[in-house]
Amino acid sequence: MIASVKRLVRGPLIRSTNYTIESSTHLFLYVFNQLHIVFMRIVPQSIRVWWQKFLQDIFIAILKVGPIPEHVSFIMDGNRRYAKSNNLPLKKGHEAGGFTLLTLVYICKKMGVKCVSAYAFSIENFNRSEEEVQTLMTLFNAKLEEFANRAQDYKDPLYGSKLRIIGDKRLLTPETRNKLKEVERLTQDGKDFTFYVCFPYTSRNDIQHAIYKNSKEYTEKKIKLNDINLNKFSEKMYLDEFSQKCDILIRTSGHRRLSDYMLWQSHQNSTIEFVPTLWPDFTFTQMCLIFFRWSFFTTIQMYNNDEGTSQYPWKTFMPNIPFMNKNHYEPLESLADPPVSVSILG
Amino acid sequence: MTMTEAHAIKTKYLNGNGKFVVDNGNADMTGSTGSSFHIPPPAASRMKGGSANTKRRTVQAISKSIFVDNRNINTSSTIKSQNDKNNNKATTTAVSSNTFWKSENTNYFKFTFYKIVLAILFFMFGIFRYGQLQYNKSKLKILDLLYNPSNTPQLIRQDVVKLNKIPSRLAAILEVKPIGDVGGGLKGILNDASELVSWTISAGVKHLSLYDYDGVLQKNTDELRNAIYEHLSIYYGPANVPNFAIRIPHFNKVLYNKKGQGDIKSKVAIEVSLLSNRDGRETIVDLTRTMAELCSNKELNVDDITVDLVDTELKQLVGQEPDLLLYFGPSLDLQGYPPWHIRLTEFFWEEDNNQVTYSVFIRGLKQYAGCKVNVGK
Repeated sequence: MIASVKRLVRGPLIRSTNYTIESSTHLFLYVFNQLHIVFMRIVPQSIRVWWQKFLQDIFIAILKVGPIPEHVSFIMDGNRRYAKSNNLPLKKGHEAGGFTLLTLVYICKKMGVKCVSAYAFSIENFNRSEEEVQTLMTLFNAKLEEFANRAQDYKDPLYGSKLRIIGDKRLLTPETRNKLKEVERLTQDGKDFTFYVCFPYTSRNDIQHAIYKNSKEYTEKKIKLNDINLNKFSEKMYLDEFSQKCDILIRTSGHRRLSDYMLWQSHQNSTIEFVPTLWPDFTFTQMCLIFFRWSFFTTIQMYNNDEGTSQYPWKTFMPNIPFMNKNHYEPLESLADPPVSVSILG
Repeated sequence: MTMTEAHAIKTKYLNGNGKFVVDNGNADMTGSTGSSFHIPPPAASRMKGGSANTKRRTVQAISKSIFVDNRNINTSSTIKSQNDKNNNKATTTAVSSNTFWKSENTNYFKFTFYKIVLAILFFMFGIFRYGQLQYNKSKLKILDLLYNPSNTPQLIRQDVVKLNKIPSRLAAILEVKPIGDVGGGLKGILNDASELVSWTISAGVKHLSLYDYDGVLQKNTDELRNAIYEHLSIYYGPANVPNFAIRIPHFNKVLYNKKGQGDIKSKVAIEVSLLSNRDGRETIVDLTRTMAELCSNKELNVDDITVDLVDTELKQLVGQEPDLLLYFGPSLDLQGYPPWHIRLTEFFWEEDNNQVTYSVFIRGLKQYAGCKVNVGK
């Protein structure tokens, strides 16, 4: 008992110093987090793990019956600040970030999200120091191989997922490019879940690439001019069928900008969430609360949009009253004749 | 009801040569419902549209959601099915009803149980959310009292001088609210726009882009010019109203000051550009078409299409990238703002705010002063 109290007292409860409370949602999260941390420090490890897993499974199962986003996207910001604030080498920060990503991808897959994309490396990141770029590359390769192996192992929860690495691959060395191709080939049969890793990617590059591809195909007479339109344009982009829209875009570490990521996908009717936590600290709870919030508002939106359509079974049994239906218009001639008009002047 | 229809309407303006013709008969776009073709993200749509906003309706939506099986109906597919409702209504219902019973790991009772639990959680969240809404609203009211420009440019400048940097280009997303609301209708949006212009001039920012989805401001330039002139004369006195230029990139037009004052060649205090949804994705697609034609006519090499080239073209067609984007709505909804131009733009909006107020403006500038941009590093 004394030991557990000691454990409680020791050190600040929140690990990261960059945690700021900006709104009442964050306050709620903060209190929740604190309570959970206290709870976690009191109970023994085995119960702790079991309890965590149980909570996760239950919450996923509950969320699964509601509306689920199709395309979720992450901007993983704050790895280096995490390393700095915890006095770790930079590499450890990136490793922690990679671990968080794989965990969250697994949860998304379990929840029934069809596609997850993550901003692993920006084209602008080549401006960083040579050493850091190099470590990032090696780490990235290792993580990809791990993912590919897990996607092939039928016992693993990530089994059956497809890995795609998108971006301007001309900027990479030939060896890396071959390796990426090999990893992509290993997982190409995955159907129900796609994981896009944006590796040297910027959204402007993506749009430019689509323009280039369209122009090229037009000059080669593969498509007509009419085929270049709003719907077909995004098919030429890197993210295949998910290029049209990204349902939830999550950016960690509190910056409120997109930093050249998913501009085309998220600039209309998509939810953009800016979270103050650093990426390695971004947990299951926080992500699920974001999903829950989205699910809540989507339920209401769907109800408001789809009232009277086939969504609600009892609506089909309702009689169709002509003048209650606003889409139905009758011409003036079809109205019944009015009574005879008589003037008082005789 | 979405992109395709909006597209169909927009293409009415398109002449054969790719030049745009203003259709005067369409001035009734400022109807009672505001942006008619835009589907906002879920959280933002909650706050819009009068009748969809009541507590009773929320309770109805949640309780009826228990009976809806949306495991196979994703949001995008519902939007799609709205688009061609008549075509494949039968097929979509068939698919959903089939899989509902035949899916292997469906346990009907388990499913219903989870549905009910989810609805209960939704109710709890709804109550929490109501409290949060009230809290945010009162916070905003207090902020409004704290930051009040009182139509005095000196006060605004005093607020801005404290900051260590201000954006050189500012953008704002405005929307036409329903006519019954506070600040609704065409009058409302004109008033908001001209207030913003006055604040921006007083803060010392030289460029302002005003975006509204339907392009209502673009269609009512005369009224806008008059409104801005009136507001500026309230701020600076009728004798020395600062010069302003209004630029409409889409029609390639520049207008100066109030109508009838003619072109004034002296320095302008602010350049206001008016953008609409047309300047977003569609402009990029139009650019692609032009480039494709140029390429097939051998006037342009395909390999010359680089990010820089596209950037210069889009800068000419739409304008520069803003540094700070203000949104005066309840939760961030970019409404199709030109995607190429929000690369490093800072966003600012206040939770649950629904009005164009000075407190949002100045707090946005404060956030910008505190932010650190490091491209790639």
